[in-house]
Amino acid sequence: MSNSARAIDVSVGLFILLGLGAVTFLVAQTFGSGGLVSGEFYTVQARFGHVGDLKVRAPVSLAGVTIGRVSEISVDPIDYKAIVELRISSQFDQLPVDTDATIATTGLLGGKYIELGPGGDVEVLKDHDEIQITQSAILLENLIGKYLLTGNAEPKE
Amino acid sequence: MLRNAVPEHLIEIRNVSYSRGDRTIFDGLNLNVRRGEVSAIMGPSGTGKTTLLNLITGQLLPHQGSVYFDGRVVCPCSRHRLYAIRRQIGVLFQHGALLTNLSVFENVAFPLREHTSLPEALIRQIVAMKLHSVGLAAAWKKMPAELSGGMARRVGLARALVLDPSLIIYDEPFTGLDPIAAGVILRLIRETNDSLGITSIVVTHDVVEAELLADRIFLLSAGKVVATGTPGNMRSDESPIVRQFMDGLPDGPVPFHYAGADYAEQLQLMSTA
Amino acid sequence: MSKVIRDCWIEFGHFAATFGAFQIFSMRLLPYMPGAFLRPRLISEQIYNIGALSLVLIMFGGLFVGMVLALQSYSTLAEFGQADSIGAFAAEALVRELGPVIAALLFAGRAGSAVAAEVGLMRATDQIAAMELMAVDPIRRVVVPRFIAGVISVPLLAAIFSALGVLGACLVGTGLLGVDSGAFWSQIQGRIDLQDVASGLLKSLVFGISASLMGVYEGYFAAPSAAGVSRAATRTVVITSVWILLFDFILTALTLPEV
Repeated sequence: MSNSARAIDVSVGLFILLGLGAVTFLVAQTFGSGGLVSGEFYTVQARFGHVGDLKVRAPVSLAGVTIGRVSEISVDPIDYKAIVELRISSQFDQLPVDTDATIATTGLLGGKYIELGPGGDVEVLKDHDEIQITQSAILLENLIGKYLLTGNAEPKE
Repeated sequence: MLRNAVPEHLIEIRNVSYSRGDRTIFDGLNLNVRRGEVSAIMGPSGTGKTTLLNLITGQLLPHQGSVYFDGRVVCPCSRHRLYAIRRQIGVLFQHGALLTNLSVFENVAFPLREHTSLPEALIRQIVAMKLHSVGLAAAWKKMPAELSGGMARRVGLARALVLDPSLIIYDEPFTGLDPIAAGVILRLIRETNDSLGITSIVVTHDVVEAELLADRIFLLSAGKVVATGTPGNMRSDESPIVRQFMDGLPDGPVPFHYAGADYAEQLQLMSTA
Repeated sequence: MSKVIRDCWIEFGHFAATFGAFQIFSMRLLPYMPGAFLRPRLISEQIYNIGALSLVLIMFGGLFVGMVLALQSYSTLAEFGQADSIGAFAAEALVRELGPVIAALLFAGRAGSAVAAEVGLMRATDQIAAMELMAVDPIRRVVVPRFIAGVISVPLLAAIFSALGVLGACLVGTGLLGVDSGAFWSQIQGRIDLQDVASGLLKSLVFGISASLMGVYEGYFAAPSAAGVSRAATRTVVITSVWILLFDFILTALTLPEV
């Protein structure tokens, strides 16, 4: 095999490796953020009357810092409430049981995320526990409706 | 087909007609090429010399009649059989038609690599031998773009010879060469033919070279062979078409003017266009 | 004026006619596909010529497109307090759309035209005919390796383009615009999913097939003259571009995530 043939082989090999590396890089971006979901975590649930447009993988934040992700959203067929599963990094396993969960919005029109507000109980949330105090998403359109048509104040579910 | 006797003619063209559009190129053409001879196929431009080559090699299918190679009919109907025939035919194109992205060595080795699974060492030896026989063993590393016209044709010849064909077809081998290079090609065609005992067909309109080289000359005109014979015969042939072509006369049976409307009408046409 | 209209009409007619001839041609290539991998050297040579040598262009393209995306989206997103999501914006645009499309367009310009010109020149200088007469099938020896190499190269080039684009956006976003790098990456991760990457790859595969097929087709059937070869190269770029944009629309419509 001549030298130029070897040079071609090497370049082609590098090119293909680079391409596959790029694919891997892009695929890696699709999995949750580093260390949170792929590392150690525990799962808690929370029920909401309405989740707005909360999506799987939305951040779960504590005091504005992301500490976990929404891993699943489903509906309880009995009480018609949305069950949201939160994956929280095991670093933060000292959350009191009376911690509340609020569906909040980044900015005025931004994406939904879950904000946790720690309570004061000595007992802490464990894997598969449920957060009892929750506040549903504030639906902007319902709020507007409320002010426009005062008197018909109950937002419809 | 008789299999016990080797046919006297390597190529037999029997009653072949071929037309392109409404233009008839061959009309009942008969032409036999004897084994071991160098046959020159000559004729004015536009008589279909290249078409004839394409018919012999099965690039084109005659509309009537057939072409036989070594007793077997040449027909593009079966790619497999056609390729089996082509492996026995070496073709040297007008400008060599070397593969420009391969070196001289790889060009000559190309048919071997494609058709055989010979070990690399043997391929090297065969290629070196064939290149040596055309006097270009030293140029094996060059790329086709670095070769002169005559050298490219010699490399093309080495490539045509590399599978040891029984027939070599030369398409206009002298066109555009200086007299020395043309002389080299001429000598190579003759020597190759005689030393390897193969058959050669040279398509050319170079009268001088054809007379020097060929054992037999076929003169084509208007879709037929109008004259056949040894160069000596042709020189003494008195028919007007042979004289016009061999002596290079501007006017004769082949008219000076391209066939068309009358001159006066033509002027009219051109001024209204 | 009428000449212009007539020429456009002829060009359009040709475009439509090409489509049919094209399918026949691609059917002719199919039976050679499995056998082609028995001679990987022929393919790797072509991957080098049309893939590896396009790399610099693609990397530059990706980097700068990513940087521009970050700059462009910043002013709008910052208005809504969403500057953090410039990464997500750039990444989604790149992975789903711009990576496959621009990489394929660049590929058509850089490699598709080169293949058309090379094969066309081989036709014009009797090299294709010489192969035929040496009982070597030029489809198998010349066309198929170039086609396969193109099909392999384009998705890789598109992925490299997108990856470099995301890096370019990161460079501008975190370096120039002061976006937090953690927020930048986590926003991307929240935004792109496997389906985005898969649909991007699918697109670039389709574009790779069209660009490569067009190049070898135009080259193989080029008129054997200087004008014919240049026409083949030009037409490869023009028709491939139209096809890429058309297929992009169709594939986007088909692979739109059900939000």
